Amino acid sequence: MKKLSLFIMLLLVSLAANASSILIKGADIYSANGLLPKSNIYIENGIITTIGRSTPMSADMEIDGSGMSITAGLFNASTHIGTVEVSAISPTVDFYSENEEVTAALRISDAFNPRSTLIPHNRVHGLTHALLVPESGTNLFSGQVGLVQLGNQPKVIHNSLAMALDFTEYGVELSGSSRAAALVQLRQALDDAKDFSRNRKAAMAGEHRDYVLSYADLAALEPVVNGDKPLLVKTHRASDITTILALAKDFQLQLILSGAIEGWMVADEIAKAGIPVIMDPIHNLPNSYESLGARLDNAKLLADAGITLLFTGMGGSDTHNAYLVKQSAGNAVANGLSKSAAIAAMTSNPAEVFGATVSGDIAVNQTADLVLWGGDPLELTSEAQLVLINGEVIPMESRSFQLRDRYFKRLKKD
Amino acid sequence: MTHFKRETMKNALSKSLALITAVTLSGCGETAKGPVEITLPNKNPYPSTYKAPESPAFALIGANLLTGDGAELTNTDLLIENGKIAAIGPALALQPGTIQIDANGQWVTPGLIDVHSHMGVYPSPSTSNHSDGNEMTSPVTAEVWAEHSVWPEDPQFEKALAGGVTTVQILPGSGNLIGGRGVTLKNIPSLTVQGMKFPGAPYSLKMACGENPKRVYGSRNTLPSTRMGNMAGYRKAWIQAAEYRKSWDEYLKDSDSRSLSNTPTRNLRLETLAGVLEGDIRIHNHCYKVDEMAQMIDMSKEFGYKIAAFHHAVEAYKAAPMLAEEGICGVMWADWWGFKQEAFDMVRENIALVDYAQACAVIHSDNPIQVQRLNQEIAKAMSAGNRMGLDISAAKAIRWGTYNAAMSLGLEDQIGSLAVGKNADIVLWTKHPLSVYSLAQKVWIDGNLRFDRFDKSVQPTSDFNLGIISAGEARP
Repeated sequence: MKKLSLFIMLLLVSLAANASSILIKGADIYSANGLLPKSNIYIENGIITTIGRSTPMSADMEIDGSGMSITAGLFNASTHIGTVEVSAISPTVDFYSENEEVTAALRISDAFNPRSTLIPHNRVHGLTHALLVPESGTNLFSGQVGLVQLGNQPKVIHNSLAMALDFTEYGVELSGSSRAAALVQLRQALDDAKDFSRNRKAAMAGEHRDYVLSYADLAALEPVVNGDKPLLVKTHRASDITTILALAKDFQLQLILSGAIEGWMVADEIAKAGIPVIMDPIHNLPNSYESLGARLDNAKLLADAGITLLFTGMGGSDTHNAYLVKQSAGNAVANGLSKSAAIAAMTSNPAEVFGATVSGDIAVNQTADLVLWGGDPLELTSEAQLVLINGEVIPMESRSFQLRDRYFKRLKKD
Repeated sequence: MTHFKRETMKNALSKSLALITAVTLSGCGETAKGPVEITLPNKNPYPSTYKAPESPAFALIGANLLTGDGAELTNTDLLIENGKIAAIGPALALQPGTIQIDANGQWVTPGLIDVHSHMGVYPSPSTSNHSDGNEMTSPVTAEVWAEHSVWPEDPQFEKALAGGVTTVQILPGSGNLIGGRGVTLKNIPSLTVQGMKFPGAPYSLKMACGENPKRVYGSRNTLPSTRMGNMAGYRKAWIQAAEYRKSWDEYLKDSDSRSLSNTPTRNLRLETLAGVLEGDIRIHNHCYKVDEMAQMIDMSKEFGYKIAAFHHAVEAYKAAPMLAEEGICGVMWADWWGFKQEAFDMVRENIALVDYAQACAVIHSDNPIQVQRLNQEIAKAMSAGNRMGLDISAAKAIRWGTYNAAMSLGLEDQIGSLAVGKNADIVLWTKHPLSVYSLAQKVWIDGNLRFDRFDKSVQPTSDFNLGIISAGEARP
């Protein structure tokens, strides 16, 4: 029965592009206010106009959503989507710089390719938004974080939401191979950025002291040291998190943590500082000496402490299969996190923390940015049946589907 | 005089022993005649020391079984005696004293099998001191054995056990054309790798197609730097292996001219390759692309060996009829792609399509995160197939990580399904095994409870974990 409705659904999706109104009946709706079981949702010209039992009873496209569920579109909070095609083919890899002169100034969204094959592949499985977080190439500063929307016309919504910094063992290795040395460099850079901010004119005219970083990098750091733009720090070890919290306090920075594999060990400190955390709940291996405390209930423990979570994942598939953030979220729930917290961590939380143009919620008077799932939203057997991004229905097309169809046809003939 | 090892093997592998009469050459060149016992190279010099501890008979009562070979049996009892599955059926009549475990409404599968793992050879922490999986000093290193790199305390093993994985094949990496021998292990805590080795499991040999070997050696300006170089490299090795095998065959056949002085010199590299030609060692071939699979199949025919499986077979859906025809397993991920050009043509329906073409479809992890949740990888692959209209039940899908996996290892008569007489490798799940919310609750290997989610005394933890984040703590 489920399969039959699926076929009807796929047919409907092809018709949906022209539908000015869409009615989905009887689906479980996961909104930020909680679960609305077996509810109707009515979308007119891309806007959610009514939710509940009082929706109009007919529309250009009607879908029986019984047994299905609706969430806001998935939002992966740490990807390189659109800035890499094939990881091993270096000319397609744009998310880090090997040029020492370009660190903080690097804006990853400048490299975003809206025609990347990764975009259709991910959106047909429910990914609607992603953060682009650059990686470090030569020192601690990775560059500026972008936000992209993956709709029919994929686009950069914001090109500099935060400044990314790598204080993992990897970033430290690039910066003198000692945490202590890396901190000297970091403090120096922040002090220089402050000094540059105060003496910008003279500095640009060459009438001020020299800096280690380029003017472009210093200019990029200016809003960070002035507290206007968050510093997004990737770090894992509990003591490193503590160090970064102290540094952020000293310099009066806005801070967002990323990684935080040992975050649970210092959850109270993070919570007290009111710092959101981007993390992948799947990590439970002592894969390095900075992640000895890795455990599967990290997400639950951080959430219990009152920390706002933003999910990425799953594992190394966080870009080519960025939609698998859903699998990481499901595993977090299997290990103690509430389902609503898990869904919020890949929908409304990142939208809110980064001030996206979408709410990451299902609510009346909002542009529809949602996914209709074949069953429970986190189950891996619940396929995305219908995806709306920015009010538009996404065609269920991707290079992978084309390959599949070509070879299935051949196999059927054999 | 000769490298030939003369101690008689205690551990008799009949094919390895040859009691023959020979003319022997003594140390000073004097010739002595008479019957002499000659022992061929020991084929099992690092034997398994694993013995399943004795365990009392027990029965799971009223469980829902996914049997691993395609069936789903609801409300069924499963009796385990002497480490084997002794009976399966509704309302079994049990001997008094049989321990009964109420599994009413709960789901049971065979232990999951990961046929492509680097646990122990690329352990956690993944520091350079432990990076022991790729002997990238020569493109053909058939002489290395993965078991000699396995660190049994690797904390990854216990995590995989907690995911219901009972058997793993540990392979060398893919930097080389021929990377070395793999080994099949029982996923139990042990001080030594010998204590984990699956008794009697066939050895495997890892080969690698495509980008990796040509990149590794091409960057050093040595062969291979191209795919044609790859092929030349394998073929050269097989020619040498065939000659080596012939020299031994002739030596053993021709009793008239045989003497210790003309005993062929033992060559570890060629010994393993000759073992493949003899059919003792199974080829597990890292190979992404359909065109390269076809080349490898032709090469196997050129030299007369059999390929057991193509691993990382991202394009297996293109090769499915060929795989079915040749009886080669496609070993696949559910959805990995894009990290290399040869992994660009991924379809999530890969496993489902290979299965549809009636070839042997196997899931694998190649990864310490995914080995912990092979059930989820199976769920994704099944769901992708069903989305395109194939009617794949959970009972059929679970074969990809159980019976089919066992077939690729040549162990399908012992593991991979819940069938009378088979090893009692069993997982009791907290929910339906293909649910993302499901966790392995209890895991038995040969009838011994090796993991229990609700009993800390049955949750093995590596020495490495003791006191590692705070003194006195046993687990991270």
